[in-house]
Amino acid sequence: MIKIPVFLFFFLLFPTWVLALDGNRILAQVDKNMQPDSYEMYRKLVNVEPDGSKKEFILYSVKKGPSTAVALFLQPASEKGRTTLRLGDNMWLYIPNVGKPIRITSMQSVVGGVFNNSDILRLDYSVEYSAQGVLNQGDSYLLDLKANSASVAYDRLKMTVDKATLLPTRIECYAVSGMLIKNLQYSKIKDFGDGLVRPSMLATESPLHKGYKSVMLFAKIKKKQVPDEVFTLNYLSRIDELR
Amino acid sequence: MNSDRKWLVFLLVAGVLFSLIPFISEASDDFTFELDEIEKSPLEWGGYVEIKLEHLDINQDGNQANLNYPKGVPATIDRFRPSLQVDGSYTAGIACFNWLFKLAGQQDNTGWTDSGDIYEVYSRVKIFENSMVDLGKKAFGWGKGYAWNPVGFVNRSKDPNDPQESLEGYVTGELELIKSFSESNSPGNMALTTLLIPVSDAINDEFGEGNGVNLAGKLYLLYQNTDIDFLFFIGGSRSSRFGVDFSRNITSNFEIHGEAAYITSKDRVLLLENGSTRHEENSVWSGLFGLRYLTANDLTSIIEYYHNGNGYTEEERVLFYRQITEGGVVVDEQTLRQLRELSLYGYSRPYAGRNYLYAKFTQKEPFDILYFTPGLTTIVNLDDQSASFTPELTYAGFTNFEIRLRFSLLTGSSLSEYGEKQIGNRIELRLRWFF
Repeated sequence: MIKIPVFLFFFLLFPTWVLALDGNRILAQVDKNMQPDSYEMYRKLVNVEPDGSKKEFILYSVKKGPSTAVALFLQPASEKGRTTLRLGDNMWLYIPNVGKPIRITSMQSVVGGVFNNSDILRLDYSVEYSAQGVLNQGDSYLLDLKANSASVAYDRLKMTVDKATLLPTRIECYAVSGMLIKNLQYSKIKDFGDGLVRPSMLATESPLHKGYKSVMLFAKIKKKQVPDEVFTLNYLSRIDELR
Repeated sequence: MNSDRKWLVFLLVAGVLFSLIPFISEASDDFTFELDEIEKSPLEWGGYVEIKLEHLDINQDGNQANLNYPKGVPATIDRFRPSLQVDGSYTAGIACFNWLFKLAGQQDNTGWTDSGDIYEVYSRVKIFENSMVDLGKKAFGWGKGYAWNPVGFVNRSKDPNDPQESLEGYVTGELELIKSFSESNSPGNMALTTLLIPVSDAINDEFGEGNGVNLAGKLYLLYQNTDIDFLFFIGGSRSSRFGVDFSRNITSNFEIHGEAAYITSKDRVLLLENGSTRHEENSVWSGLFGLRYLTANDLTSIIEYYHNGNGYTEEERVLFYRQITEGGVVVDEQTLRQLRELSLYGYSRPYAGRNYLYAKFTQKEPFDILYFTPGLTTIVNLDDQSASFTPELTYAGFTNFEIRLRFSLLTGSSLSEYGEKQIGNRIELRLRWFF
């Protein structure tokens, strides 16, 4: 008779879902690998329609800490100067002609298309979500993430994380109802310098907008220290000065 | 320019603009991001060219039309309105020079008119990261309301049907100080804005009376996730006034905002039963309360209630309208001239009544049509139940082009505000090209 040690017996029966705590550690590491604590970056957002025609937007963003970010539209001319600010759950939009910021919501889209405000002004994943579990899938983890509050754009995420790099490769975003809202796909790993190696492209498709696709390209992600005053309503007309 | 030629010009310009469309978008799956696309230049500039075509049906039974067209009220007016707006800035070190110009023309039944205005031209000097000084002509947008701003003590009046359009500023000196303080998970900040507004025959003469320098200020706080402003204006050009506004998200898709203003010694001219006028000075409260709500299927609703403490009551306005005609006949030219002056001073100013409701509904990209936004704006005078309804279609699918089609219907009983307006209905096509 072959004796199986008790601990090995339990290990074999142990479910593949491990403690959520490990999931939160992985998620925190994902955040760390995706961006410095405080940084600036440029993004090109491309909306692709079913007929293949494209509309492009270029944004300059500055982020400080886990829950503070601002994004300025540089192109096209019709959007130039529009600035969005996020402080935790608060979001504002500044339109140059209007001359004052107005409050907006995370699910709205400033530019139209599949990306919404929360995609453009994304906070650290570990700020908005907590891991409910981790599924070990060989060369990747599948994190089951639940929103920490009702104000988060997506109630649940299923995030696939590459084990070797601890970078996200695919994210499924779900509504409270359980309906799949969109799929996000990270690709094209690039060395941005200063030890930051991460995806330079994020593509998204939504079952709600069949045939439409949006792509976000990342460039010049660099550490940058800015004063807290930059993330205030009165500074929104001056964000371009930071470039 | 006769009507046929005017349409020919429009079709020619529109044809050129639309012929560019095939070159605007190109189909390709190759995504590139070149660094020269994000190079910064000290000189930044842009703007738009706009063509607006309007057809107006005149309310020939309305007293407002009788007032403005004593020699006979036209049945319709067709307008061709081209315009050009150019804005820009030049940055050198801690200083930045900003400008905004607008050229506009109008061809209608009465002929051609045009104008060129400097909306803004000012220098900004950044003293520290949290403080700056602006000197020159600059527009301000104080207040949280979309359609009206009772606390906009230094704002120009905006058109609630087009609240996002540029407005001309005033020559001011501005000092702004910002302070941010971060506690754990509780971002907060404050900002103090102080303005000096000189008024003389040569500067800001339309701002108010006399010669002198006025002082205005705004203290902004972000406290417990609520935007709060305390505002004031003191000086000899206008009576002193004090205000507060707020804005807050109740949930991520539901926002509320409000404004309250106390205006001391607000002047008002009142037409009396016997045809004479009386000047009144009262301290009044004005206020606004509004909400913005986004549904799961991307319908945005903005609803606002506005109380104009210095507005005319329904009875006062009815008395004014009744003086324009006598037994169904328009009064003599001299009386009309006096009434026209009164009209410009207050009675016929936009939203000169007491209580209004504003509602705007916009549906983002219905039927999966990207960049397409249908909407409906309605403004109701709550005192006489007259109203304007403006459905619109906006399409911005071609890079740097925006097309908007609007229809406005003004409706109300005889002697009501919208029932007496000069325009009965209007259809408008607006084409913009941004550069």
